Amino acid sequence: MNLVRFAGSFLVLAGAAFLLSDYHNDVYRKMLLWVTLALGYNFLFGVCGQVAFSHFAFYGIGAYSVVILLFQLHVPLPLAMVLGVAICAAVALAVAIPATRLEGFYLALATLALAQLFVVVLNEGGELTGGTGGLANYRLPPVFGWSLGGPSYTAVIVALLLGTYALLVRLDRSWFGRACRAVRDNPEAAAAMGVDVARIRVAAFTVTSALAGVAGMVYAFVDNTVNPPIFGLENAFLLLFMVIVGGAGRHAGAIVGAVLLFLLPFVLSPLVGHHHVLVFGVLVVAAILFQPKGLIGLFNGRS
Amino acid sequence: MQDLLELAVGATASGCVYGLVALAYLLVLRPTGIINFAVGEWAMVGAFGGHLLLSRYEWPYAAGMAAVVAFLCALGWLTERIAVRPLVERGAPVLAAVLALLGVLVITREAISVSFPPDPLPVPYAFGIQYQKYFIIGVTLAVFAAAWVFFERTVAGRSFEAVALNRRAAALMGIDLRRVSALSFAGGAGVAGLAGLLVSPNVSAHYLMGVPLAIQGFTALVVGGVGRVEGALLGGLLLAFAEQLTIRYAPIPGGYAQGVPLLFLIMFLVFKPTGLLRSRI
Repeated sequence: MNLVRFAGSFLVLAGAAFLLSDYHNDVYRKMLLWVTLALGYNFLFGVCGQVAFSHFAFYGIGAYSVVILLFQLHVPLPLAMVLGVAICAAVALAVAIPATRLEGFYLALATLALAQLFVVVLNEGGELTGGTGGLANYRLPPVFGWSLGGPSYTAVIVALLLGTYALLVRLDRSWFGRACRAVRDNPEAAAAMGVDVARIRVAAFTVTSALAGVAGMVYAFVDNTVNPPIFGLENAFLLLFMVIVGGAGRHAGAIVGAVLLFLLPFVLSPLVGHHHVLVFGVLVVAAILFQPKGLIGLFNGRS
Repeated sequence: MQDLLELAVGATASGCVYGLVALAYLLVLRPTGIINFAVGEWAMVGAFGGHLLLSRYEWPYAAGMAAVVAFLCALGWLTERIAVRPLVERGAPVLAAVLALLGVLVITREAISVSFPPDPLPVPYAFGIQYQKYFIIGVTLAVFAAAWVFFERTVAGRSFEAVALNRRAAALMGIDLRRVSALSFAGGAGVAGLAGLLVSPNVSAHYLMGVPLAIQGFTALVVGGVGRVEGALLGGLLLAFAEQLTIRYAPIPGGYAQGVPLLFLIMFLVFKPTGLLRSRI
């Protein structure tokens, strides 16, 4: 993505925020964050073929660590951000090295257990994590003398989204992305071609989990509250469903899936109340049975 | 001493439930290679079936139990027909079926939460609260004995094992893969529903009870190893004893006790992914 298109997209997406009402701005921000997460998860699941349920937990680790650093330990903001990224990357690496040795579903289960364990730790963390109520009533300190709030904070989220997208597209088109796809499709053949399968898996897991952590750090100041239920398993499943319905393995698919499944409840709630998850389940089964390439596969045949 | 004995009986009973859930995984996993996370939801459906037939319509226990197991077998069979068989026939990777079953998990749970009130619903004991543990242990032993006899001593059971070892060779020997796959899903769902029915008097039927059971059952499976039927029971018992003893004696806050099976699972996956019992072949 060249610089002009990058700047253009930024202006359009961030400019939209200034036209929206407060409520719609809130919905818009959360949608952008879901798209960011889905892009990262698509790289892990769709491009590298790892079914992990820990992605959302890393989002939570990022959010909690930046809030704890800033308001429990009183670290200055720039340092807190650097430390937050470092924590996410370190935890991701520590998890990735043993977890990616596991074959197929064992990885899914280990990361599922990890995600559950994370929620248990949050609930039992006492003062530090605020227990079941989480942490609330904090404000983002001024950044270089600017107090970011309202639409200008949405611009930060747009920058995060575009930065994540640019990084993932670049990775995808490099030798690394090709190696990831090779590992997904046939690990033995990839190894025979000289790809270090274990290292590729660890790198993909670490990079995407760290990106989820960065998104979580940004999320922490969207609602100005972090609590355990947000980072539970429900959302980890939702993320997987977004990527499957949209089309695993393609960035456009992740974007379509995230936007669709995020906005669907707003359309459905007058019809089915809170039971939109039932519709998601049907959509996922239908997508796998009838349209394995996802919705994006309807438009053209490139895979 | 009395205290310890009670703890042992309680742990054995919950270990039996975990073992049944692990067996439900195993029945599907061995011949098809599919890890079916929906077993927890099947157990939940079994609990709700118990509530409906035994509490609301007050059927005799044996009739209600038979009806619940029969219904679950039908549900498992139907799931295989709708969500799994088309994928297998298309030659899709196993992962596609696993993900489709995740969708089925969500559909099952939401269907139950739409149809029943959100509060925990009562399910009666088989003979009374003081005998339930022994009832669970007895039923579990009977199920495992039946499974062992089926797999080791009957031709149909051996054909399941043959499919588990080598699908292609088994098909060439005249074994109907589709029938084996359908029966394994029906059997897995029946066993899972039985586990849900047995555990539900203590925990009440609730639409969120599935996922914890699914994780505990899977942990039991990983601990015991996926190669043998008796591994599922052994894994379940070990997990339950580890859980109960930690809650009783370890100096950690109560909430962290929920983390014990999760840590157990992660440790086994990382250090001993083959489980304790090795496959015979």
